[in-house]
Amino acid sequence: MNIGRRSFLSFLIGGAAGTALSPLPWKLTDDISIWSQNWPWTPVPATGEVTYANTTCTLCPGGCGISVRKIDERCVKIEGTPGHPVNDGGVCPLGSSGLQVLYGPARIKTPLKRVGERGQGRWMAISWEDALAQTADKLTELREGGQPQSVACLSGRTYGTMPSLLQRFMAAYGSPNFMTVPSMRDSYALTFAAMNGQTAMAGFDTENTDFVLSFGSGIIDGWGSPVRMFRANSAWQGGRGKVVQAEPRLSNTAAKSDIWAPIRPGTDAALALGMAHVIILEKRYRSDFVSNYTTGFDAFKTMVMAGYSPEKVAQITGVEKNTIVSLARSFARASRPLAICGRGRGEVPGSMNEFMAVHALNALVGVINRPGGVWALPEPGYIQWSGPDLDAVAIAGGRRQRLDGAGSSNPAASLPNRFFTTVAAGEDYPIEAMFISGANPDFDFLNNQRVAEAMAKIPFVVSFSSLMDDTARNADLILPDHVYLERYEDVPAPMGFQRPIIGLCRPAVTPQFNTMHTGDVIIQLAQTLGGTLADAFPWDNYEVCLQDTLGDQWDTLVEEGYAMDEGFSPAPWADMFGSRKFDFTAAGIRNGFVPVPIAGDDITYPLVLMPYDSMRVASGAIGNTPFMTKTVDENVLLHGMAFVQINPVTAGSLGLRQGDKAELTTPAGKAEVRTDLFEGIMPGVIAMPRGMGRTPYDKKLMKHGVSTNPLVSSVEDPISGLEAAWGVRAKLSKA
Amino acid sequence: MSTTEEHANEVPAEIADKKETTPETKKESAIGYVILFFFVGLIASLIVGWIIFPRLLYSQKSQPFDFNHAVHLDLVDEGCQSCHYFREDGSFSGVPKLAQCIDCHEEVNGEDPNEEIFVTEYVWKEREVPWLIYSKQPDCVFFSHVAHVSEDSLYDGKDCVTCHGYHGESETLRPYQYNRITNISRDIWGHNIAGFARNSWDRAKMDDCAKCHAEARDAASRRNLKAPTTRFITNIIDVAFPGTRPAGKGSSVQTERGACFECHK
Amino acid sequence: MKGATTHRYGMVIDLDKCTGCGACMIACMAENNVPFRDDESDKLLSLTWMRIFRLNNGKPFPEADVCYLPRPCMHCEGDHGHSPCVSVCPATATDYSRETGIVSQIYTRCFGCRYCMGACPYKARLFNWWDPVWPDGMEKFLNPDVSPRVRGVVEKCSFCYNRYQLAKNKAFLEGRRELEENEYQTSCTQACPAGAIVFGDLNNPHHQVHQLVDPDMAHGGRPRNPNAFRILERLGTNPKVYYLSSREWVRRSGDNTIEGEGKLKSH
Repeated sequence: MNIGRRSFLSFLIGGAAGTALSPLPWKLTDDISIWSQNWPWTPVPATGEVTYANTTCTLCPGGCGISVRKIDERCVKIEGTPGHPVNDGGVCPLGSSGLQVLYGPARIKTPLKRVGERGQGRWMAISWEDALAQTADKLTELREGGQPQSVACLSGRTYGTMPSLLQRFMAAYGSPNFMTVPSMRDSYALTFAAMNGQTAMAGFDTENTDFVLSFGSGIIDGWGSPVRMFRANSAWQGGRGKVVQAEPRLSNTAAKSDIWAPIRPGTDAALALGMAHVIILEKRYRSDFVSNYTTGFDAFKTMVMAGYSPEKVAQITGVEKNTIVSLARSFARASRPLAICGRGRGEVPGSMNEFMAVHALNALVGVINRPGGVWALPEPGYIQWSGPDLDAVAIAGGRRQRLDGAGSSNPAASLPNRFFTTVAAGEDYPIEAMFISGANPDFDFLNNQRVAEAMAKIPFVVSFSSLMDDTARNADLILPDHVYLERYEDVPAPMGFQRPIIGLCRPAVTPQFNTMHTGDVIIQLAQTLGGTLADAFPWDNYEVCLQDTLGDQWDTLVEEGYAMDEGFSPAPWADMFGSRKFDFTAAGIRNGFVPVPIAGDDITYPLVLMPYDSMRVASGAIGNTPFMTKTVDENVLLHGMAFVQINPVTAGSLGLRQGDKAELTTPAGKAEVRTDLFEGIMPGVIAMPRGMGRTPYDKKLMKHGVSTNPLVSSVEDPISGLEAAWGVRAKLSKA
Repeated sequence: MSTTEEHANEVPAEIADKKETTPETKKESAIGYVILFFFVGLIASLIVGWIIFPRLLYSQKSQPFDFNHAVHLDLVDEGCQSCHYFREDGSFSGVPKLAQCIDCHEEVNGEDPNEEIFVTEYVWKEREVPWLIYSKQPDCVFFSHVAHVSEDSLYDGKDCVTCHGYHGESETLRPYQYNRITNISRDIWGHNIAGFARNSWDRAKMDDCAKCHAEARDAASRRNLKAPTTRFITNIIDVAFPGTRPAGKGSSVQTERGACFECHK
Repeated sequence: MKGATTHRYGMVIDLDKCTGCGACMIACMAENNVPFRDDESDKLLSLTWMRIFRLNNGKPFPEADVCYLPRPCMHCEGDHGHSPCVSVCPATATDYSRETGIVSQIYTRCFGCRYCMGACPYKARLFNWWDPVWPDGMEKFLNPDVSPRVRGVVEKCSFCYNRYQLAKNKAFLEGRRELEENEYQTSCTQACPAGAIVFGDLNNPHHQVHQLVDPDMAHGGRPRNPNAFRILERLGTNPKVYYLSSREWVRRSGDNTIEGEGKLKSH
C-alpha cells in the first residue's frame, strides 16, 4: 500500500476541515479564554447572608463603636457604627484594618511553651491544661516559698474589668507589683490631683470649643479618641472654631491649624507661662473664677510677671513676641477656649511642668468644667467587688515596697519604666515571674534595651498576647487571648471623652483558634491556687463576672453597644472648688518653666531627634497592619528603610540631599536611615515616626523601618517619675 | 453516515485494482487515495469534535444525595420562593441552608434512603450540604435575581422557569457536569456542545443575557414611542423586516448596549 | 429597560477637613479586595484605588504648608461619556455608563495592554503586576461582592459600584426604582472619620454634592462655588470628583499653572 505524502496531506486537510466544522476549536478557544480570566488559584469569596455585629474597638484607647460586616460566619469589613457618641460612623485606618489582626498570620493559635533560647522563636504547642498547670505550679511554688511579691504584672489597659481582675489577682496572691502602661491620661490625672485637688480623669468638651490652643497635641494625628477629634476638627474647619498649634514640626495638625507657631522643642511650658503673663498683665483672666475658687494666684502671678515676659519667652521658645501676645489675647478673648497638651498621640506621658502650665492657662480663662473646656470626670465606678480577703502570705507580700516606687514616694499609679530599670539593675528583691497583658514593653518603651535587660533577669515571663509581638517572642509561655473581635470586654472611658461612657466589646465571630479569654485564665488560675485566691474569684467564667459587675447596665450595653450618662454635666465650680480651691502653686509649676533635659551634648549631637505620631503608623501594642503599611508614603518608608525629616537648610549643611542614606546616631543607639527634606520642620530638628521597625516575626506585618524607641533615652519626670522624654540629641552623617 | 458507507465500499475495490496498475491508473488511484484520506480525516475529526471532545471536556460529579423537588413543591405554598427566597436586603438566598430544612427533617420521616443520609450525615452533624449548583456563574458575574423577578425592576418580571426551566418539577437530581478547563457548570454553556438552545433555560452564557437584555431595551424603546403613527410604522417595519431596527439604546458609551458593570463585578 | 433615569454620581472632597489619615484608602482596600505585598513602598507598583497625595506650597520654613489630596478615579465624563480611558480601550473592558456616570472596568475583559493607564491624566488606573496572594487565613475577609483580580489586568476605583447594585436590589424588593441619597455611598465616604468626603448624584439638586459645588452643566459641570475645583480642569475631561479648599495655593495646585500665571479665576 502506497500512502504517499499527498494522501497524508489530504488526511490533514480533511481533519482540519472536520475540526473546523466541529465545535472543538471554538469551544476550546472560549474555554481557554475563560480559564485564563478566572485562574483557579484566584480566591473566590463565598457569598452568603450579610449581617452586622456591633462591638467596640479596643485597638487604641479611643473606644469607637464599630460594626463588623459579616457574610455568614466570615467577617469581611469593619465600619464605624453610625450614631455612636464617640465616632458616629467614622473609623480610623487601624480600626478599619482590624480584620487583618483577626485573620492575620501573626495570630498565636494555641498555648506555646518556649523550647529554644529566648527570642529564638522555637516553640512547642501545649494544651491549655498543661499551660495553666505549669503557670499554677510556678505561682504555687513562689507563694509557698514566701515570695509572692516576686510576681509582677503589666496591663496595657487602665480601666475596666480586665485590668481590675489582674490587679485583684495580684493583690490576693500577695504582690504589690501590678502596673498599667502610663500615657498622657496619667499625666492629666496627676495634674488634676495636684491642681484641682481631686482624683479625676480629663475630658475635653471639644465639640463646643471655639478656640483650641494645642501644645504639640496631634489633634488629627491620633490624640485622644482619634475619630472624635477628627470630627471636632472638621467642625472647627467649618467655621466653628480656631486652632493654634505650637510645635516645632508642621504636623498634619499644624498644617490644618489656623495658626502654626513653630516652637523650640521642649519649651511648651514656657510659652504657656508667657501667655499667662500677657493674660494676667492685661487682666484678661476670668476674675470671678480666679478670685473665688483658686489659691496661690498671687504667687503664680509674681512668678510669671518676673520671669515670663513675652520678650523672654520669645528668647526661650523661638516664637515671636508679637505672636505670643496676640495668641494670648485671642485665647483669652474666645468665648470657649481650651488649651490642651500631650505630645502627638499622647502615648508618652510627658512632663508635669508642661501639663500644669497648660492647665493653669485653662484655669486663667475659667474653662475648667465649663462648656467647651476641660472637664474633671469621675473614674469609672461600676466595678464594686468586695474584698478580696487576704491570707497571711498575701498581706505580707502586699506590704512589700513596689519595685517601681509608685504610690509612695511618687504620686503616679504605676511606673513600669522605673520598674524595668530597677529589675535590670537587680535592686531590691528579684522578680521571678512576670505577666504581660495587652502591652508590648519590649517594643513600646523608650530605651527598650533596658526592658530587654530586665526581662533577661526574670526567669518566667508569661505573655497573654494574641499576636506574636516583640514581647511574646521573648516570653517563656504564651497563653494567647482571643482578639477583640472574638471576646467580651467592657471598654470604659475613651481617652479624652467628656462623658462617662462604657462600650461593650463582644464577639463578632467565634474564636478562630485555640485561644482563651485572659479573664477566664485568671479566674481558672485563682481557682487552681485555691484558698483566699479562689474565694476572690467566685465567678464561673469571665462572662459571668462581666455581667455581674455591670449589673443593670448589662442590658443597655447588649442593646445599644454602649451605656452613656447622657445627662452628665461636670461639677460646678462652687462644688468642685468650694472647699479645696484650684492651686496655682502646685509642685511642678511653682518654680516656673523647668525644661526636661534630654540625653546627649550638643557638640557631639548637634541635632534634636523628635519622634512624631502618624495616623498611618500604629505605635501601640498592636503594630501596623499590611493595609496601613501600604498607606505610608514613599518619603516616609522606602524598601524597608525609614526616612528622617530634616529641614533643607540643615540637610544642606550636612551635605545631604533628598533620599540620601545617612547614619543616625543618638546617645542611645544607631540606625541607618534616609533623609527626607521637609520645609515644615525647624532647622536643627529632625523627626521620625514612632511605631515602625518591629521584630520581623511575620513578613507582611510590621517589619518595616526603624523604631525610634531604642534611639531615645528614657527621662523620668522629676515630679511624677513618668516617662517625659520628648526627644533626644542626635547626629546625622552621610552614609 | 451514508457517505461513510459509500466510501467504505469503494476502498476494497481500489485496493483490489492495485496490482495491475499502469502509470495512468496509478495516477487515478493516487487521486482516489487523496480523496479517501480527505474523508477519513474529515470524518475522524468530526467524530472527535462532536462526540469524543465533549466527553473529554466535561467531567461529572454526583450530588451528595438525591433530592425530589416535585415532592417539596407540593408541600409549600409559595412555589419556588418558599425555599429560594429573597432576604430583606434584596439579596437572593440561593440554595437553602440546613436551618431551613431542620423544622421538618429533624428526624427521619420516611423511607427514602436519601432523606436518611440527609438527616444522619448533615442535620445531626450540623454540616451544611455541599450541593453542586447547576446554575452557578463564575465569580466575575454579578447577577441580581430580584432585578429580574421584580415587576418594579428595569426588566419585566420573569418567572423562575424562564432561566431555570422546570427544575422545580424534577424528581431526581441529575449528575452535575462541569467543564474540566474552566470548572464551570455545563448548564452555563448548555448541554448542546454546539451551543444550540431550544429553550430560554438551555444556556446561560453572556450572549444569552445580552439577547434578553436587548429585547427588553427594544420593548422599552417601543413603549417610549408616544405617537400612534410612529408606533404603527415601527411595528410594520418589525413585521416586514424583523431584526433590522436597531435595539433601544443602552447606557453603555462603548457598545450602546447595557453598560458592562450591570452584569460584571 | 423601563425608563432608566440618568444619574451622574460624583464626589466632593473637602481638603480643609481631610487629615490625610488614610482611612479612606484602607476602607477602599477592604471593600474592594485590593491585595497587598511585602513591600508596597514603590508607589508606581502599589495598588491603591484611592491614593492620598501630599501637596506642599513650596515655601521655606516656617511658611511651609502641606495639604492632602485623596484621589479616587475621577469618573470623567469627557465629551458625552468619552472619557480618556474609555476612548482608547481596545477590548471594551472599560466603559462609561450613561445611567450612573460611572466608568467601569471589567477585569475579565481586560487583557492588560495598559493603554488606558497612559491615557488617564490622573494616574487612577493601576496594573496588576502580580497575582494577588492573601496570607493564609486572610482570604477570609474577602468581599464576595467584588471579584478579586488576576495578574495582568488593570483595575481602578469603581465608586463602589457593588454597593450601587446592592442598594438597587433592596430598592427593587421594596418596589422602588430610585435610590435615596444615603442608600448608595462609597466605602471611603462612609469611613472618612473627618466627614470630608461627600458622595451623591450631581444631577440631583437635593443631593449634598450638587449643593456643595453647584456644577454648571452648560459648561461641562464646572463648579460655581469659588472654593471648589477639579484636578486638571482645563483638560476638559469633565471629572466628577470635586475638591473644596479655602486655601488658594491648594486650588492652584489642582491644575498645571505656569509660573507667573495670573491667579486662578473664580468661576
